[in-house]
Amino acid sequence: MSALLEIAGLGAGYGEAPVLFDVGLEVRAGEIVTLVGSNGAGKTTLLRAISRTVDSTGTLRFDGRPLGGLTPEQVFDLGLVQVPEGRQLFDRMSVEDNLRMGAYRRRDAAGVREAFDRVYRLFPVLRERRAQLAGSMSGGEQQMCAIARALMAAPRLLLVDEMSLGLAPVVVDQLLEVLAEIRRQGITVLLVEQDVFAAFSVADRGYVMETGRIVREGAVADLRSDPEVRKAYLGVH
Amino acid sequence: MRRLALAAAVALLASVPWMGNETLVEFGINALLLATLAQAWNVIGGFTGYASFGNSVFYGLGTYGTAIAMAQLHLPFAAGLGLGAAMAAACALVLGVPILRLRGPYFAIATLGLSAAMAAIFSNLEIAGKNIGLILPLFRGERLFYELSLALLVATTATVAWVASSRFGAGLVAIRENEEAAQVMGVDTTRYKVAALAIAAVFSAVAGGIHAYWITFIDPASAFDSTLNVKMVIMAVFGGPGTVLGPVVGAFTLSAVSELLASRLSTVAAGFYGLVVVLAVVFMPRGLLDLGRGLRRDGWRYFAQNVRRYRL
Repeated sequence: MSALLEIAGLGAGYGEAPVLFDVGLEVRAGEIVTLVGSNGAGKTTLLRAISRTVDSTGTLRFDGRPLGGLTPEQVFDLGLVQVPEGRQLFDRMSVEDNLRMGAYRRRDAAGVREAFDRVYRLFPVLRERRAQLAGSMSGGEQQMCAIARALMAAPRLLLVDEMSLGLAPVVVDQLLEVLAEIRRQGITVLLVEQDVFAAFSVADRGYVMETGRIVREGAVADLRSDPEVRKAYLGVH
Repeated sequence: MRRLALAAAVALLASVPWMGNETLVEFGINALLLATLAQAWNVIGGFTGYASFGNSVFYGLGTYGTAIAMAQLHLPFAAGLGLGAAMAAACALVLGVPILRLRGPYFAIATLGLSAAMAAIFSNLEIAGKNIGLILPLFRGERLFYELSLALLVATTATVAWVASSRFGAGLVAIRENEEAAQVMGVDTTRYKVAALAIAAVFSAVAGGIHAYWITFIDPASAFDSTLNVKMVIMAVFGGPGTVLGPVVGAFTLSAVSELLASRLSTVAAGFYGLVVVLAVVFMPRGLLDLGRGLRRDGWRYFAQNVRRYRL
């Protein structure tokens, strides 16, 4: 199976400060892949490089097409859509308006109506609260809204950044189930997480990042039994 | 119904020079131009959320473009307006990219510096008459200036109405509400912000050009006057920023208040004007239009709610 997202020898940074070194990562169509690592490992920078808001060197291809030289909007139009860290909702706008902003670049009215139906089926609570201001909902509901908003853009690859941040474990479990359902609907997911337990429970494969380098990769089952990973990230021996 | 009422209001305004006296027409021209400036500011300040204090620069470029074209190059008035608008648009495009990277107070301060810088530049330009200024050919056509100002305000308001209902405008509002989120959802934020600034620049410049030809004399201090910028911000915010008619209502109301106070009370007028603004900010921070809706909904409790909600 060919890779949907293909990254090799990638370097990136801010001005004089390099953050990523020789990063290699692959996401195949239909997979849930997770990228784990502690604070400051460079996970978010990698997402920025993928969405072209930070310049990078090396190979960066989506569906065989090089992303270098594209603007963030062009990358978005290819179907690489982010659920950003901290959710970044339009707090003073209604849930429905937030979702509509997800479909901002779409011009197929019928497709947008269908997308509304689909995300409301996925998140019935959002349908109930569609007139409510997004900022007034609970953290979990806000995260649902952020995921739903990204889905409105008809993504081919969903880039989810720190989904579990600040949420109760039971809410995180619900959201992980949703990710699995999204994958069943044919959308590939790259999940960037600090919560390794949560990430491994839903992903097929994983990458471990430390100080800007990929230090481990493989099937989640293998990573779970890797003594180094167990010690550093799962807190078990 | 609403359209009909608007058309009637415009027709009524258009008939003023044929019925009122000279003082009223003069007041009208000033009020219409100020309303245009408040409305133009509304595009960048109200919809996009970037509180620009550099719009008086665009106004000043409009006055100088018109004055240079007419007094130095002996071109017709229309060419002057065109030159002024082009200079302002070019300025917005060139300066917009670097200064629109700044947010909040940083953006406001950076734009505040522009008026002073521009005044200094123009007082050293030979073609702009250095710090003495320029005298435009005399043309006594108060009615024409009035109708031109009204037409400009209608055009500016029509543009704002388009912004409010368009995809472009939705992008601007998204930038105002959360710029990171707008970018993540595929809004080309830099291009949108620069476009909003350029729209504001063009209308402000034409207002400056009309004012220059009407007054027939300009100098750097009056062309690049940052208190004019403060006025347009106050008027737009007083009426209701980010709405289609708010800035116009705000400009007319405050122009009338300031005129009445000036004629009755002269020197204390400025103080009362300030008091009106302070009271407005405390009791109706979302503008006159919101006041109308709020009073119908909540009655007098509306004021108490505002004071509580904004912790004043």
